[in-house]
Amino acid sequence: MSKKLSRRQLFVNTAAGFGGAATLSMLLPGGGLLSTPALAAEFTDPLAPKQPHFPAKVKSVVWLHQFGAPSSLDLYDYKPELIKRSGEDVPASFLKGIKTSTQGGLGKLITFGRQWKQYGQSGSWFSDLVPNIAQHADEIAFIKASTTIGATHDISVLKLNTGDLRPGRPSLGAWITYALGSANRALPAYVVLYSGKREPPAGSVNWSSGFLPAIYQGTAFRPGPNPILDLAPPDGLKAGQRDDLDLLNRLNQLSAARHPENTEFLARLNSYELAYRMESAAPEAVDLTKESDAVRDQYGLNEDITHDYGTAILRARRLVERGVRFVHIVSGPIDGAGRGEDRNWDAHENLPLNHSLNAKAVDKPIAALLTDLKSRGLLDSTLIVWTCEFGRTPWGQSGDGRDHNPWGYTQWLAGGGVKAGYTYGETDELGVQSIGKAVDTYDLHATVLQLLGLDHLKVTFQNHGRSERPTVVYGDVLKEVLA
Amino acid sequence: MRIITYFPMKVITYFLCWAALASAADTDSTATAKPAQTTTTQKHWAYEPVKRPDVPQVQQKEWARTPIDGFILARLEAKNLQPSADADRATFIRRATLDVWGVIPTPEQVKAFVEDKSPDAYEKLVDRLLASPHYGERQARRWLDLARYADSTGFENDQTRPAMWRYRDYVINAFNQDKPYDQFIKEQLAGDEIAPGNQDVMVATGFLLNYPDNHNSRDLIDRKYQITTDITDTVGAVFLAQTVQCARCHNHKFDKISQKEYFQLQAFFANLAEVNNIPARIGPQETEFRKQRSAYQEATKETRAEMKAIVDSIREEGTKYYHERYLTDSRESIFKPKDQWTALDRWVNHRVDMVTSDDSVAAYLYVAGQDKNSPEYRPEYAPKFKRYEELRQQLAKFDKLKPESGTDTYAAMTELGHPDAPPTYVFFGGNHDRPLDEVQPGFPAAIAGGEQPVITPTATSSGRRTALANWIASARNPLTARVFVNRVWAQYFGRGIVSTVSDFGKMGDKPTNPELLDYLADQFVNNGWSPKKLHRAILLSSVYRQSSDYREDVNQADPENKLLAVFPLVRLDAEEIRDSTLAAAGKLDTDTVGGPSVFPPAPKGLDAGNKWQVSKDPKDFNRRSLYVFTRRSVPYPMLESFDMASPQEVHSKRDVTTTPLQALTLYNDQLTFEWSQDLAGRLIREAGNDEFARIDRLYQILFARNPTQQEKNTLLAYLDNHEKIVQTQVPNKDVPLPRGVDVSGISNPLRESAFVDLVHTVLNSNDFAYRF
Repeated sequence: MSKKLSRRQLFVNTAAGFGGAATLSMLLPGGGLLSTPALAAEFTDPLAPKQPHFPAKVKSVVWLHQFGAPSSLDLYDYKPELIKRSGEDVPASFLKGIKTSTQGGLGKLITFGRQWKQYGQSGSWFSDLVPNIAQHADEIAFIKASTTIGATHDISVLKLNTGDLRPGRPSLGAWITYALGSANRALPAYVVLYSGKREPPAGSVNWSSGFLPAIYQGTAFRPGPNPILDLAPPDGLKAGQRDDLDLLNRLNQLSAARHPENTEFLARLNSYELAYRMESAAPEAVDLTKESDAVRDQYGLNEDITHDYGTAILRARRLVERGVRFVHIVSGPIDGAGRGEDRNWDAHENLPLNHSLNAKAVDKPIAALLTDLKSRGLLDSTLIVWTCEFGRTPWGQSGDGRDHNPWGYTQWLAGGGVKAGYTYGETDELGVQSIGKAVDTYDLHATVLQLLGLDHLKVTFQNHGRSERPTVVYGDVLKEVLA
Repeated sequence: MRIITYFPMKVITYFLCWAALASAADTDSTATAKPAQTTTTQKHWAYEPVKRPDVPQVQQKEWARTPIDGFILARLEAKNLQPSADADRATFIRRATLDVWGVIPTPEQVKAFVEDKSPDAYEKLVDRLLASPHYGERQARRWLDLARYADSTGFENDQTRPAMWRYRDYVINAFNQDKPYDQFIKEQLAGDEIAPGNQDVMVATGFLLNYPDNHNSRDLIDRKYQITTDITDTVGAVFLAQTVQCARCHNHKFDKISQKEYFQLQAFFANLAEVNNIPARIGPQETEFRKQRSAYQEATKETRAEMKAIVDSIREEGTKYYHERYLTDSRESIFKPKDQWTALDRWVNHRVDMVTSDDSVAAYLYVAGQDKNSPEYRPEYAPKFKRYEELRQQLAKFDKLKPESGTDTYAAMTELGHPDAPPTYVFFGGNHDRPLDEVQPGFPAAIAGGEQPVITPTATSSGRRTALANWIASARNPLTARVFVNRVWAQYFGRGIVSTVSDFGKMGDKPTNPELLDYLADQFVNNGWSPKKLHRAILLSSVYRQSSDYREDVNQADPENKLLAVFPLVRLDAEEIRDSTLAAAGKLDTDTVGGPSVFPPAPKGLDAGNKWQVSKDPKDFNRRSLYVFTRRSVPYPMLESFDMASPQEVHSKRDVTTTPLQALTLYNDQLTFEWSQDLAGRLIREAGNDEFARIDRLYQILFARNPTQQEKNTLLAYLDNHEKIVQTQVPNKDVPLPRGVDVSGISNPLRESAFVDLVHTVLNSNDFAYRF
């Protein structure tokens, strides 16, 4: 007796039994029938949980993309020499091998009178812009020799998320979803959150599945109680939805019985039930009224400046709790941080104002996330990545701004498997370029995958006859930052 | 018989670059540390000339209506498999109409075909389908997938490309006119060289121009390289099904394409630049556009004049300031006197002009007139800045008067009137900062068999692309015809004869039926590269006419259905789902072909600001999906859910994924619910008050068949029960009713509301979402 025949038999029985939803439930993952190995092998659910290559340190990643590129030199990368030489020209020796813009003049080296302090046992440096994150000094592993390609945000943001300067490759979150599947089918495995009034510029290419099937792309969660587009049925439909789905199941079982060879029919039947569960699971997952006042306050939900980002971060914690693999948070523009308008971290002028507002918006919520995850015992199974498309120059632009710096900037990791309280790498004494082994986006991606139990060389997908992997042809796991 | 194959977590790993190849069981053992020089004596099958195979002898001659069938049947007979019986006529016309037009047929069309007793009923049907402009619309959408077509540039700013729809219309018209494929290739690769100044041919170069672009780029040398790379890789994949991009950083690991040969391909495009403001022929669209623009210009005349005067007063310093944003090597070109320009400097400066507007110059005022901390600051500019800002805000108030779409120009790729091209170098590791030897345009030797381009420059162009186009669009090229016929075959049968439709290299799959592939390719060329004749031959074959009914014996003997003993069913693609739903609702605009792209409403919650401004004219909402604006950063959600093509690079094959988000779209979206109300209204209009008659009509419209007794009973039982649910749970006055009927004639609103839900549910069923 072949397994195909038995499948057919199954369908015939199911259809003849005509039990509607009651019969259907037996077909769902977790139900008895599908756990039969022969059947499970045939029902290729592309989001079924998959085993990592080796034991994972973490289950989820929170990817904190600081859009617009904060100045490492004003947050984490303490440079006494820069302070000393503030007001001088940049010595030519520091510019060797790099191409710069001269708009606004290749300004003098500049600092803004920041207060710097060492924190914790590790003695890591933090400026006065991030006093709350500083309290977590001993949980953070800094990468102070980050480098990338690009002089404009668009291509560097794309590289940060997908590895390429041209759109089309899968984002890191999509690769992870592809490799590990979903741990909670009632929610998307890869969720994108953002703060601010608008959707992030360049949009979905930065959470795209590229050449991977679209099922692995990030799902944008919008502000408001129904975070997914079309999550709620039109008003007139709500009452009879369960009844509709039961009818749909009956109709679809008839077609599934006619075509036992087609696993998609079964998957499609299943997808409506999942959607139905998602309709309640997703709003529940982002319902912050379920949080205590103390927690809401901790994340800054009661202050204007931190409200939006804090909302995204607290949502992220709830999603991590519910098994979402990859939460990708894009920081949005802050009112008043630009020329009389909202602006993200991109401080080409008036950096002191810009960064004080942008830092304020994220510092408290991120610190709250670290504290909260820890107190819930989740920090060990979660990886937090503070990341940005590049940093900013030590020389001034337009007087009190800073230009883009792709040659040397700071990112950090915290959470499970991370060598806490450690600093890897450095920039030169003015903070222009990384010295020693630089850490590219590919290395960061390889390291994140490693912590999820994935060998970045072995996560592969055939595209146009080529075996593709997340790190293209590059990438070294940054072993130094692993515990 | 799965339609998509996932490759989860392969155990084997390829180290693609700079490392020894980890050869595994299914890789070619000839690949070593220097694979590009691999010396296998036998030529790769795809590089052999196309042969003209004899049609195989078969036993069931009566089944083999066409030569195609002989090739299919021979393999079935060798495996002792019977082909399937013909599909019934109603199934066939639904299948063929979806495949050729991308939309379901009307019940009247189905009935006429089912009842057509003439011996040439199938021929008449196929010829009718191929003669309709919907054929061109459907084929164009497939081609646009390959051409990475979009109406915007992508990246952060994602500017609208207001004239790209002209390229889309060119493709539609080319298919409808049955433009020979060789000519179609030449026009897209070198239309500007073949027919300079001829708008109809020039717009074809939109194929090259569809690359993603960021006007904001500060590194123009890199930008040029990225653009050229995109074009080269696209041409390699689309026409030749070669993964040439694998040879950019190093010699190709699997195919005989060296890194030098890769850059020789890039050299064909070295002198190519976008020109997006060529005056277009004036027709109704252009006249309407100008009328709207004049109204805007008239209303804003004084404001704009004053703004221009301010910009003029700082133009020199403002421009210089703007130019300083570019990186070192770009600035060298920008600040060089024009009489010293090289071909590369010319490209850079053209690019800068293209992306510089008065607003980019005026940006200087934000610094010089406002930012007291800036070295640029000059107090006397403060009033200018202040006034300019006032004017800008004043001007923005008139935005609603701007034409929302359309243009009186067209865009093309040209060589800017110069035959001399910038040099092309091999780049070490693909890094443009590390040039090695200069190279000249050339064809990959393994494919071209030693043929090299004969380049004849014209007065205004290098002539390089004409030479390339002539080689690609030649019967001598072993790949071109094979690649195209295979793509068309894949459209009908779900997978190509070579299943990796854009990879005919060594790592691609081998043809399942190489004789059939060569037969089709040879016929195609002999038929004057006529796509319609190719489609017709497939559509009239017995293999296409087979039933898709499940067969246990086939599932055992050929589980992937490679031999095609059963017709493969497939889920409708994104556009087919939306267009067919609109058609069922009686709303699809089937009359308007072409024109500027439109913005139908998006689901609540999509906040894309000015990147998605819903069209003012509600007629736009019902246009075919092909005409929905392709915004690279904001894919239209309803289409995106169902695996629409990604416009970021060549999209060779529509995936079929099944996700809860699709269920949310089709069940919860406001539009699909309204269309269900429209369809319910249509059923009442066309079938009256008898519920059995309505259900019959519903099935005829959606599935081209009548419901079975079991289905009818199920639906009626649902209706009785659902009416009660509606009654208990929804306040009477608010129940959604069928649309397009006189509401006052509805005696039982609860029952009719339950009927809307029935229609909506049936619309969500598998039978609708698949073509059998």
